[in-house]
Formats: sequence, C-alpha cells, structure tokens
Amino acid sequence: MGDIEEVLTIELPVGENFRIQRSRYEPLKGKSKKRISVVSGIHGDELEGQYVCFLLGQWLREHPEAIRGTIDIYPAINSLGIDSITRSVPFYDVDLNRTFPGSKNDFLPAQIADGVVNLMRGSDFAIDIHSSNVFLREIPQVRIAKSQEDVLVPLANLLNIDFVWVHDAVTVLESTFAHTMNTIGTKTLVVEMGVGMRLGKAYGHQLLDGLLNLMAHEGILDIEPLKVRFPIQSQVGEVAYLNAACPGLFVPLIDHCQIIEKGSVVGHIVSALSGEVLNEVIAPIAGILFTIRAYPIVYEGSLVGRIFGEKQ
Amino acid sequence: MKRFDIVTLESPNRAPLRIEGFLFGEENLQGPSVAIVGAMSGDHINQLYVASGLVEYLRIKEEEGKIIGRILVIPAVNAYALNMGEKNWPLDKTDLNMMFPGYAQGETTQRIASRLFETLKGYDYGIILEGRRDQGMCLPYVKLIQSGYEDLECTKDLGLGFVHYRPHDPVETAMLQYNWQLWETKAFSIVFGKNGAIDKNVSNEVHTSIVRFLSKREMLNIPVFEGRKSNIVDPNRITLLKASRAGIFISKVQCGAHIQRGEVLGKIIDALSGEKLEKIVSPCEGIVTCQYAHPLIFQNSIVFRIASVELCSHIEAKKN
Ligand SMILES: [Zn+2]
Repeated sequence: MGDIEEVLTIELPVGENFRIQRSRYEPLKGKSKKRISVVSGIHGDELEGQYVCFLLGQWLREHPEAIRGTIDIYPAINSLGIDSITRSVPFYDVDLNRTFPGSKNDFLPAQIADGVVNLMRGSDFAIDIHSSNVFLREIPQVRIAKSQEDVLVPLANLLNIDFVWVHDAVTVLESTFAHTMNTIGTKTLVVEMGVGMRLGKAYGHQLLDGLLNLMAHEGILDIEPLKVRFPIQSQVGEVAYLNAACPGLFVPLIDHCQIIEKGSVVGHIVSALSGEVLNEVIAPIAGILFTIRAYPIVYEGSLVGRIFGEKQ
Repeated sequence: MKRFDIVTLESPNRAPLRIEGFLFGEENLQGPSVAIVGAMSGDHINQLYVASGLVEYLRIKEEEGKIIGRILVIPAVNAYALNMGEKNWPLDKTDLNMMFPGYAQGETTQRIASRLFETLKGYDYGIILEGRRDQGMCLPYVKLIQSGYEDLECTKDLGLGFVHYRPHDPVETAMLQYNWQLWETKAFSIVFGKNGAIDKNVSNEVHTSIVRFLSKREMLNIPVFEGRKSNIVDPNRITLLKASRAGIFISKVQCGAHIQRGEVLGKIIDALSGEKLEKIVSPCEGIVTCQYAHPLIFQNSIVFRIASVELCSHIEAKKN
C-alpha cells in the first residue's frame, strides 16, 4: 500500500493544524525513474477527483508489482474546504487556484500554494483534477493554455477524455497551480469533469483508465497501454456560449454530451410563479453540448451551456 | 437632485436589483464632473455610510445653490449582497470589482459591470470608496495605481495624509480604477475603515476630504479648511510586521499612532492555554497605517503596516 504522510502543516489559531496528506507509491524494487502527482481538491466543492484518487489507490494496491515510478496521490489540497463544502480557502474567502505560486511569508492561502508547489517540484507530471463548480456539468476534458499546446496536447490525448480545449492565455490564469507547475518544468494537465459537490462514477473510471494509460506510456507502470478514446480537439472548431436571456428556472431538454443541430432547443427558462415558458434556449451552432447547467436558478447572463462545433 | 436607476436587473424570485444614482448639478454641463462609487462589496458598510452621507450633504448644498459641477453618487452597487450579509454576488460569489470593464453579452456580473461602466465613462474624476481586501483596518489613504493614465496631482486636493502610489498588480486590470483610468477619467480609490463596521471618525475624515476635493476642483462653491499635505508613499516605505504564530491577537495601538523603535504594538496568545506566544515589537519609528482587525490570527498574517520616512536597514535584512 501507499506510504501515507502528512506533508504540509500550517498552524491554525485554535489548537489545530491545517494539513495536506499524501499517499506515495514506489517500485517494489529498483529505482524510480519518473514521478507523477495526482492532485484533487484545490477547490473544496469539487469531489470527482477524490473518487479518481480512490480508484487509483485501489488499483495500485492490487498491482504493486507494476509500479516503476513514484506515484503521489494528493486527494485534498484545500482540506478545510473539502470537509466543509467551501470552494475557496475558508476565513480568507480566496480562490486557492488564483494564489499560485504563493509565498511562505504571506497569508494562509499563499502559504498553502507555496507548500503545494514545493511538494510537487521535481515531478515529471501533475494531473490536477477539477469538477467544474456547482453550476455547470462538464464532459471529461483537459484545458490547455495556447502557449503550452505543443507539449501538453499529446499528453492530454492519452488521458481517455472526450475533449481537449486549447484556450487563449488570460492574465488571471497565470496565478493557477497548472501555470506555475508548467513554468517550473512539471508537465501539468488540468482535467475538468462532472459537476461540483457530486460524484459521477462513470467519469471516475474513465479517467482512471486514462491515468493508467498515460503512466504506461511514460514507463511509470509496467503494463500494456490501454485502448482509450481520442478526444475532440478544440483547434478544429469553435465554442459557442449559451447565456440565459432572462432570469428564471432553467429546464434542460437535451442530455449532456449530445450532438445537436443548429437551431435546436437546448432548454427552457420557465417561471415557477406564473407557469409560463419565458425563453427558449436555442443552439446557435451545431455540435456537441459539452457543458450544461446543473444548478437551475439563472439570472440574465448565467451560462447555461457550451457547444463545440465545426468551424463554418 | 435627480435620483434614478443606473442598472436594474430582474431576479428569478427576489425583487429586482437596482443600482441607484444621485445626480447633482445635472444642468452644469460645462463644469467639471465627478462620479463617486460606494459599496461594491456587501461588507463595505463604511463606504456605504460615507456615500449616503454625501448624498444628504449635497442635497442641502444644492438647495443653497452651491453645486457648480456635476456630481454623481452611487452609494451601493451590490445591494443584493448588502441585504444578505454576503460579500460578493450572492449566486455565483463573483466579486463585482473584478468584472470591469464588463461584457454586455457575458455572465451576469460582467453585464452588471458593463452597464454600470457605461454610465461612469466620461466623468472627469472618479472616486472609488473601497474597503480592504483583507482582515485589516486602516487610516484613510488614497490608492492610486499606475496604469499610465493616472493623475497623482488631483489626489492631493483631498488633503489625506497618505497617497499609496504603486504599479498595478495583474489582477487589478479587472478592477474599476484601472479601467476607468484607461477611459481617461482621473480615477483613484480611497481605502478606509474596517469591513462590516462603521468608524465615525474615519468616516468623517473621508467625508471632509471629498468635500474639500469638490471645492478645490470647482464642483462645489464653498470655502474649506486646508487638509494635510499628502505624503506619497511607495511600497518601499512601508514596513510589514507579520505574526510568527497563530492564536488570539491583542493590539495595543490605534491606527495613526506614531510609534518608536522597540515599542510593543501587540501580542499573540495561545487560544487554548493562554500562554503568551509572541510580543510584536516595532523595529522602526513610524506611523501605524494599518493593522489586523480580527481577534483570531493566522501564522504570517500581516499584523501591522508602518509607514516610515526613512528605510530601516535591519528591516530589509529581516525580510530576506
Ligand atoms: Zn476547480
């Protein structure tokens, strides 16, 4: 079984330490050549990654002889948040994933960020598993900044996900875990899948296969590579955003992950009070509905879905 | 005075959000103009209080015929958060002051920011009443970020003791001050008070400084007392003292105190055993401009900010 250790502790005001725990797996014999860090819970309301960590740990306990590298599992980075349905770092109300690279001499969120970077420094790979937020449900996808495209897309294609989304760099995203790690030489993939506060078993198994496949390709596991799906590549098409035109209750009419025609009705925004359908949400392009709203209350502007379609 | 809705936004169930404006000197199209923005966050109560106090004051001055410029006051941007003890937009928890210049086709708070910004564009001056973004409280000071379009000179007419003038942080490119400056409004922030509370003395000082500004910049025709000479402070003149331990924090000084090197400013005690963990001693002479304002403190939190005329070298050494 993995070697379980408390790898980061920070004093809290009243008789408690903030802690991050890690489970480390190493080869039974011989030297480890490569290291991978599997990370979840940077956002305290995202739990799909916890399940993936469980599945991976379970697999590794059953196949210790296959291990050729160092496999570190960190199920709960924002441990205060994970145990209390709090997305941000409690007390400070700061998004941990906007605090990297952090600093030892700064406030709690920055200390956590700094600690995390130092723990994973030297890893060859890091897989940062997110599950969207409580509002949106996502198909398994990897998001990659344009500047990292050449290095990371081939790696993402091994992960048994459905979609690789290469996006333009945004300044605020320079303060994420992934950006910092990629800058210091750890190839880091951000996985988004499922929805906040919930657990989707099928996605967990899908990503487990992807992780095993990636580790097989990189020589971290001595197993045959798995047969995995090849993800849709965002470069060949465009993403359309569906924002609510009015406030109300969003009722989807199409299942997540469906291929839809241009002009089809994705859902209704209805009034619970009057019983009227206030607005039809229409697909502006044909394609795959890869994001759909999970939390039904919407204001004008609330994102209700995203469609990826071929370039016209 | 003209009271009007700048932004209205329907909600699924609660009463619509209204961002109200109070406009004085509407007819003074030639004179200089200013827009004053109050609480953008649900815990900026002091900012709300100062802004609504200004509305009442200007209403009286308008009756006396003293308004010679055009003055818009927006006391509350995020009334939804204020009315439910939230800090940010209550549904998706986004910070309205991180959404500028806004996007009319975007998410809800981007749309709110965009509509508000449409109204704010074109004013000669922009005053943002800001709370702190941490657990501190502070003397009123001007925060002026360097966007390339900032105007340092005009901030001196407030007569506040300190102008914190510094390069902008990347995240500040999404804030109102930066974007307002880019649209060629002479925009700056006055940061003051403690979030969630009203400090009457501090509120008075901010109120007086804005009235002084309006008079000196010829929007209000009244005589005023001179304020302080503003000290332009860059980050190198500020000494940060940090807590080396977590626990209960007890302060021994007030913001504004002139303190000596070696003076005890506060202490941290163990929250369970009561044992004294740390005595916080000033390494230099200066003025306490900010201090931590929550009774429970975390390791490495900034406890005091001290502005000094001279850099003290041993502090520089300690920082490294
Ligand atoms: Zn996340």
